[in-house]
Amino acid sequence: MNSEKVTKRILFIASFILIILISGIVLTLISGAFPVFEKYGFSFIYSDKWDPTEGKEQYGALTYIVGTVITSLLALIICIPFAFSTSLFIGEYYKGTLVAKIIGTLIDLLAGVPSIVYGLWGFYYLRPLLFNLGENTQGYGIFTSSIVLAIMIIPYATSISTEIISLVPNHLKEAAYSLGATRLEVITNVTIPVARSGIIASYILALGRALGETMAVTMLIGNSNLMPKGIFSLGNTMASVIANQFGEASGLKLSSLIAIGLLLFVVTGFINGIGKLIIKKFA
Amino acid sequence: MSKTLKLEILQATGNQKKRYIKNKIFQIFVVVFAIIATTPVFFILFELIKKGIKQINFDFFTKVAPDSFEAMMAVSSGKGIPGGILNGIGGTLIMVTVASIVAIPLGLLIGIFLYENGKSRYANIVRDVSDILQGAPSIVLGIISYIWIVKNVTHGFSALAGSMALAIMMLPLIIRSTEETFKMIPNSIKEAGLALGIPYHKILLKILIPTGLSGLLTGILLAISRVIGETAPLMLTALGNPTLSFNLNKPVDAVPLLIWQFYNDPNLVDLVWSSSLFLVFLVLVLNLISKRIISKRK
Amino acid sequence: MKKLVLFGIVSIGLMSFVGIGGLNPIKTNEVGTLQGSGISISAAGSTFAGPIYKAAFGKYQAKTGVTVSYGLTGSGAGITSLKDKVVDFCGSDAFLSNDDMKKMPSEVVHIPTCSGAVDIVYNLPGIGSINLTPALLTKIFMGKTTNWNDAELKKLNPKTKFPNLKITVVYRSDGSGTTAIFSDYMSKVSEEWKTKIGAGKTLNWPVGMGAKGNPGVAGTIGSTDGAIGYVGSEYAELSKKISFAAIQNKAGKFIMPTVDAVSAAGKSDIPADTRVMETNSAEAKAYPISGFTWIILYKNQNYNGRSLAQAQETVKLIDWMLNPEVQGMAKQLNYAPLPAKVVKMAKGILRTVTYNGKALLK
Repeated sequence: MNSEKVTKRILFIASFILIILISGIVLTLISGAFPVFEKYGFSFIYSDKWDPTEGKEQYGALTYIVGTVITSLLALIICIPFAFSTSLFIGEYYKGTLVAKIIGTLIDLLAGVPSIVYGLWGFYYLRPLLFNLGENTQGYGIFTSSIVLAIMIIPYATSISTEIISLVPNHLKEAAYSLGATRLEVITNVTIPVARSGIIASYILALGRALGETMAVTMLIGNSNLMPKGIFSLGNTMASVIANQFGEASGLKLSSLIAIGLLLFVVTGFINGIGKLIIKKFA
Repeated sequence: MSKTLKLEILQATGNQKKRYIKNKIFQIFVVVFAIIATTPVFFILFELIKKGIKQINFDFFTKVAPDSFEAMMAVSSGKGIPGGILNGIGGTLIMVTVASIVAIPLGLLIGIFLYENGKSRYANIVRDVSDILQGAPSIVLGIISYIWIVKNVTHGFSALAGSMALAIMMLPLIIRSTEETFKMIPNSIKEAGLALGIPYHKILLKILIPTGLSGLLTGILLAISRVIGETAPLMLTALGNPTLSFNLNKPVDAVPLLIWQFYNDPNLVDLVWSSSLFLVFLVLVLNLISKRIISKRK
Repeated sequence: MKKLVLFGIVSIGLMSFVGIGGLNPIKTNEVGTLQGSGISISAAGSTFAGPIYKAAFGKYQAKTGVTVSYGLTGSGAGITSLKDKVVDFCGSDAFLSNDDMKKMPSEVVHIPTCSGAVDIVYNLPGIGSINLTPALLTKIFMGKTTNWNDAELKKLNPKTKFPNLKITVVYRSDGSGTTAIFSDYMSKVSEEWKTKIGAGKTLNWPVGMGAKGNPGVAGTIGSTDGAIGYVGSEYAELSKKISFAAIQNKAGKFIMPTVDAVSAAGKSDIPADTRVMETNSAEAKAYPISGFTWIILYKNQNYNGRSLAQAQETVKLIDWMLNPEVQGMAKQLNYAPLPAKVVKMAKGILRTVTYNGKALLK
């Protein structure tokens, strides 16, 4: 019994380390962002003015917040049908076969491509493709970035949900089959409900990945500081503007970038929270 | 459609027909989408191989990165770009290893904690924190590691700072995949162990972890793949180093950092592709190793 | 439990082994010979100067065994790391203003190492180099001249057949020294630019699109007919499809961005601390959009427990950068070497760098 207490204590300490970690991160960011909140207060969050010209500097995060939310959600929406199908393919339909193993490995490779390479590939190959489809912004923009993001997050959405789907106990499925259910019906009525939590968790992780992606987006989104008008216009995201400007920023601008970093945590928490609520409602 | 299937559908009546057709359509859907999902890999790999394969030779793995001048001299006299990415390989290996040593045990423990304490208020907070951390842009974690470690611990850019930034990035993936994997293990297994009077930590180590190994390795592999290709956080922490170095207190290079340098140098830009190919290949190797471990256990 | 403890001990053991700073780490240079650890130098900053710095530092290491790690973080982050005293020096495309100098913990000095040009490049199929005046440049980049067949362009280049093609402006989306030099020049030659857009590392562009990094801009221009933009000179030969413009300088001559023309810009009057933007030089042969890049370090090198040896090696390295060998390398990589006058000034400044009151260089 003593060892059980010790184990439980160790587990608790581990979880507490995470809390300390994030508190430390938030505090550090707050202290760096302080000058900005002192100057603008909450208007920083809903202002879309971003003017770095010396002498008339003005900063506001709204453009970036909008860009981040649109690209990430769009990427997730594009990714889900593919990720879900792949998970079912590997974890259910062709479970254990060589084809499944190959496809699984291929998808995992997508996670291994460095983000800067996604940016380059998108820049050299995807961009001209989209440009030829009639965009007038040289193939840059929110839509382009979302497509590349969707590809980047497929492994995150797939890997874990595949594992979870394949762990659904056979006896549950067999019971349904013995009642005459078709494959689809077993999936809808047994597999998905049982694996639901894991599948959702993997999509949340994929969304998180999309929200925080820096390099690839920065090379494709066009880096406009104006509010985007539609998914084909240029835009900018929070992670991208931080990456683009951090190397050369100082003073109030640097604080603005750190404030945006802080806000990204808030935005992530917000979107995750709403997502989890929606899922609860559909339970 | 095969003859037997046609027969089956003919024999089925009304609603049953619909169900069978729906079933088949869905299956086709799944197969088509799964195949489409894998096509970007081919496109990307194809380009990487096409452009990068000529740079890969013995030197690639054993020599440090060339600089602009050497590359220019060699190319203008008709030879290929000299050198390799040894300093990057060494740095990537050491930082990913140190990051894993920190993140894997910690991530596993937190994941287990969440599994054990599922619905409690505190556990929900911890879970939400982990999900939010997953959304942190790598550059912000780089800034954090710069402030914490570069400024206050090593008083200079260092491999340790780089490792810490990577470790933080790995955590949420390991935590969540651990929790979800354990949740799928039938309770009966754990209860059987408890009934036999096995101490809790032994149940974890000898029963649950081995049973869930496949899922755990998936999360770990995903986490490692995630950090192996990251540039931004390393720029502010590891800095770069033209030599092969394993000193945690000093700057070190990494393959993604080298890719950034190559990209920004007109004489070296061709090396971007071979270096990327290396990273993808590394992920493939790790992937195959983990699949081997899992199948051996079965 | 035992296994866990064992695992823990092994991990900690491995980490200590790898992490012990005092032991000689294994370092190999390209030739594969092992060298003693000795001193190592770290620096961060300008990506513009990255190629020449890394090449020079590599040669220095082969010569002396001193490892120099230089990170392409950008000038701003370089200055921040110098301020935080985590590097030995930083590289910056812009000098610190008086206000910024006051914000540094102690006095710093600027050592120019070379110059670079900002080339005006464009993609006009079949057309080679064209002449541009500052006035036209302003009109194009502010979106007032929108088509290549504009009358003013024709007047300036009577022999060129301009197509009826929209002008697409491409600029740097990331903060950059190249943008700083370009906008500094534009502010000097156009009152309107100065008031509406101003100078800086990032600007509020009225028209056009942003691309990341010099390669991003060059790549976008290369794949877009009718595009025009500015790139750092080290990207001179990047794409076969892009051409350079000859810009009319203050003396009225149309000058191409050659290495000699950029060096000529450095011949005009430079203040003693070398903190000046070379743009819009009055020299007859000068290319007007040129700029120095500097190395910045603390004047008093005894801070944070720095050893005398570390300070000496730092100053020796920077001194070596000013020698003909490195300046010659710079020229081959499309940077402009410093004119002799500036080298002398730079070395003079370097001699004022002290450790405990004593000059480090004789």
